[in-house]
Amino acid sequence: MYEVRFHGRGGQGAVMAAQTLAEAAVNEGNYAVAFPFFGAERRGAPVLAFTRIDSKKIFSKTQVYNPDCAVVLDDSLLDTIDVVSGLKPEGIAVINSKERPEDIDLGKIIDTATVDAISIALEILKAPITNTAILGAFAKATGVVKIESLEESIKRKFGEKLGEKTGERNALAARTAYEKTIIGKSRGIKKLEARKQWLPTYQEMPVGGSLIEGKTNAGLIGPGSFIENKVSGWATYRPLRDREKCVMCLLCWFYCPEGTIHRISNKGDLMTNYDYCKGCGVCANECPVDAIKMVRARV
Amino acid sequence: MKNLITADHAVAIGAKLCRVEVVPAFPITPQTLIIEHIADFVNDGELDAKFLTMESEHSVMSAAAAASAAGARVFTATSSQGLAFMHEMLYATAPLRLPIVMPNASRTLGGPPGIWCEYNDSMGARDSGWLQLYVEDNQEALDMVIQSFRIAEDKRVLLPVMPCLDGFVLTHTVEPVDVPQQEEIDSFLPPYEPDIILDPDRPAMIGTFMPAEYIMELRRQTAGAVESSKEVIQEINSEFAKRFGRDYGGLIDTYRMDDADIALITMGTVTSTSREVVDELRQKGEKVGLIKLRFFRPFPSLELKKAVSKSKLSALGVFDRSISYHGGGQVYNEVRSALFGMTIPVIDHLAGLGGRDVTEEQIMKMFELTRKAAKGEKVNEINWHDTRGETV
Repeated sequence: MYEVRFHGRGGQGAVMAAQTLAEAAVNEGNYAVAFPFFGAERRGAPVLAFTRIDSKKIFSKTQVYNPDCAVVLDDSLLDTIDVVSGLKPEGIAVINSKERPEDIDLGKIIDTATVDAISIALEILKAPITNTAILGAFAKATGVVKIESLEESIKRKFGEKLGEKTGERNALAARTAYEKTIIGKSRGIKKLEARKQWLPTYQEMPVGGSLIEGKTNAGLIGPGSFIENKVSGWATYRPLRDREKCVMCLLCWFYCPEGTIHRISNKGDLMTNYDYCKGCGVCANECPVDAIKMVRARV
Repeated sequence: MKNLITADHAVAIGAKLCRVEVVPAFPITPQTLIIEHIADFVNDGELDAKFLTMESEHSVMSAAAAASAAGARVFTATSSQGLAFMHEMLYATAPLRLPIVMPNASRTLGGPPGIWCEYNDSMGARDSGWLQLYVEDNQEALDMVIQSFRIAEDKRVLLPVMPCLDGFVLTHTVEPVDVPQQEEIDSFLPPYEPDIILDPDRPAMIGTFMPAEYIMELRRQTAGAVESSKEVIQEINSEFAKRFGRDYGGLIDTYRMDDADIALITMGTVTSTSREVVDELRQKGEKVGLIKLRFFRPFPSLELKKAVSKSKLSALGVFDRSISYHGGGQVYNEVRSALFGMTIPVIDHLAGLGGRDVTEEQIMKMFELTRKAAKGEKVNEINWHDTRGETV
């Protein structure tokens, strides 16, 4: 059995990637399953998806803890998540990054493939959605499925959902990534601390799970604790507002799903708190006078 | 002071004596009188409570949950379809540990629609985390509203409580009820003082989204609270008995069990009638006894086992006023599970479904069949009493 764990952010298509890979494997005569794991998440938040491939029926319905391959759709995740956790010693990491494998520190020296999927996606798809490009890199790095099978299932799956042309463009993104993938070894210097999480026993848990403002070894809990949840690292783009064009209609302030746009009292001006801006672009989309432009946050 | 009142009236007086602060309400037969009496109390200035007429039972329980989370002592009442309609919100209240008290006027849950006593309404809520008890007369109905608030608000419990009273058989029947004085209740039931409430000056999160990392522990915590309610129920029963002179036995009550060799387990008003039948059979020299199952949640497995083994019973009959559609009733299955490992025959007596009157003759028949089982004679495991086409 071959097991893959996808690390992505909500909206990048990790789930579609897992399913597309499963479809390609099935088309090659294998048995495969793909499934997501969502936390209490939203667009931009870290998500997981899994694919299992075998020559016979797969019965396991658990998550994957010891993958043969860890696929990372967004290298900003490397700072906060141990993406190679539990990876088999002979396993491989496939990472969307501009860097070469030897310039990426995964905390252990391990087979690693990299590809600049985001630039490929922006060029071919005109959107920072890296799921099809990274599949191309996966095919190149692992040989578990043929790139032709992936192209077929991408065309069918994406074509069915988004139209034939989009399907073909996504297949092209996969093929381009396949050709540009670099395979090598990662560095293994940094020590990734396990993410701290407040995990009370049932006796420690406040009655009924009700919380007031509180502080634990793992950080704040209860009302206001989200202040610690900075999301600037999620953003591919960030909004820039042109004060000359802005008519202070406040539509951006009203529509921002994260409440990051603040009215500066009495000055008739707005301020965006980039710590909590995930770069979704809703403000720019809603602005009636085109005063907000989205610019690349990470290059 | 003895008042000749219905159980609905008694329950409303009980709520008034408990100084309930919020009563969201929606009327449904045979609970309606409770709500009408409360409305009168509030209107006449006898009860200082917020009385909210809601547009549905789902809204009733939503409002009850919110008011309870804001720190109020909350009371409401419902029945049958109304209880079914608030089913979702029942599940929202217990694990959040909101000590609401809500009598249920037991009524058949349609279809087909009916308005008379059957327990298939409250049995549907047995896994919601609500504590559930069944009373046999109007005095117990009043007393258990008062005890329910003490049980519900005990820091070891903090769970909602549902006293069930037989529709019409109690709700619309007048009998003498001793109504305690307000001062007596005030000293028995202190004001409700929760630790965490919804208060803008001290923000709190109650009932927010919870991922898998926490819900398992929350379920364990709720299960623990239901378990510790057993001890609290016994304590409060004893304290109530001391103060008011009425001892209900706590989780279960027993009648003439000392040298009984067979017994019947009953809930609700059938217990009351069964007392007469036991006396009659005893006069004929039959060693029969009665176990009154007062609390269905928490289920008193240990207490039942003790009662059965103490009397050295050779057979046990179980009365069920609802069916689980896999054979017997819910009580039967719980009792069998509780007595697992004991070898005496346990047989089920389904009777009174849809509100059909459960007569002394039927109860006699229950004892007769249980006696047969005790003698090792062939008896059906599930017995449908007074059911055309069935022979018992």
